[in-house]
Amino acid sequence: MSNNYSRAEAIQRLNELLAEEMEASMRYLHLSTLVQGIDRLVIQKVLKENHEETIEHAEQVSEKIIQIGGAPSPKINLELTGEKCTGIEALQSALLFEQAALDGYREFLECVEGSGDVILEEFARQQVAIESEHVSELQMLLGESHLGGE
Amino acid sequence: MIDWREFDHNPVSHSAAHHLTSIQQLLEEQGYARVSDVARKLGITRGSVSVTLKGLRQRGLVVEDDHKHLGLSEEGLRIARGIHTKRILFQSFLSEHLGLPSNLAEQDACKVEHLVSDVTAEALALFLESRSVESKEREAQVHSLEGRIKDGSVDIFPSDRVQTLSSELEKNSSSTHEDNDDE
Repeated sequence: MSNNYSRAEAIQRLNELLAEEMEASMRYLHLSTLVQGIDRLVIQKVLKENHEETIEHAEQVSEKIIQIGGAPSPKINLELTGEKCTGIEALQSALLFEQAALDGYREFLECVEGSGDVILEEFARQQVAIESEHVSELQMLLGESHLGGE
Repeated sequence: MIDWREFDHNPVSHSAAHHLTSIQQLLEEQGYARVSDVARKLGITRGSVSVTLKGLRQRGLVVEDDHKHLGLSEEGLRIARGIHTKRILFQSFLSEHLGLPSNLAEQDACKVEHLVSDVTAEALALFLESRSVESKEREAQVHSLEGRIKDGSVDIFPSDRVQTLSSELEKNSSSTHEDNDDE
């Protein structure tokens, strides 16, 4: 993709990623309260850990926005329903929004790659690696892992 | 008495309606639709889009290919067209007949587009088509139309006739906007 990105574009994209992380943290928390069934204790623990991790990611993205001269201003528009779910269903939902975040970081990496902005490029690469691990972990828990896949 | 709680069980929620119509618009405008495109168009996160699309996929309204390109099933397309047509009909009625400013007409049309019945939308199309008809005559036409829809003897909403009308109204509305912008 283009390596002629502007700082304003980078800030906008980082704010979009911040919204992804913040929504994901709330979704994890919400899912952890809804999960029912024999595996509740195990899955709830995983969801709460991921909730905390996504908060950390949100903080990192916020710091990056400030570092490049922007202000964290995520647009959050979250609709959460109060339906009970099984552990598997909770993980399937989590996989959806983790995959969405991963796609967002990948797109951001394409945007800054080769731009000469080493700090942002490195940050994007690191986040892609972390989110890829999250997605893989969830896929493994669901028995959907693809060796050598994306 | 009307049971207003039944409105919560509407087959398509407001959010789902916007997802379906966005996919349809993106397909028409650029030939493809991805989660990221829908998210940008709606101004929400990819995560939210993915979660909503999961439900729409399970209901057989949205399809996704191996390249993560989104599409609409036959039923999904019918629903999206229906919602879009209703929006145009209401928007046109509110702005042209009630004299509301176009942005307010658009907002209010958006609020009802997914809730209003096909019968009402057909009746509204009839009204917009035949403004000069006497009211009693129009009422009879609406009743007759309503009866035909209940019998299932007319096309499923939106019929070709209503879609053509909606396209004309949309075209007129955009040319009016362009004229106003020029001024």
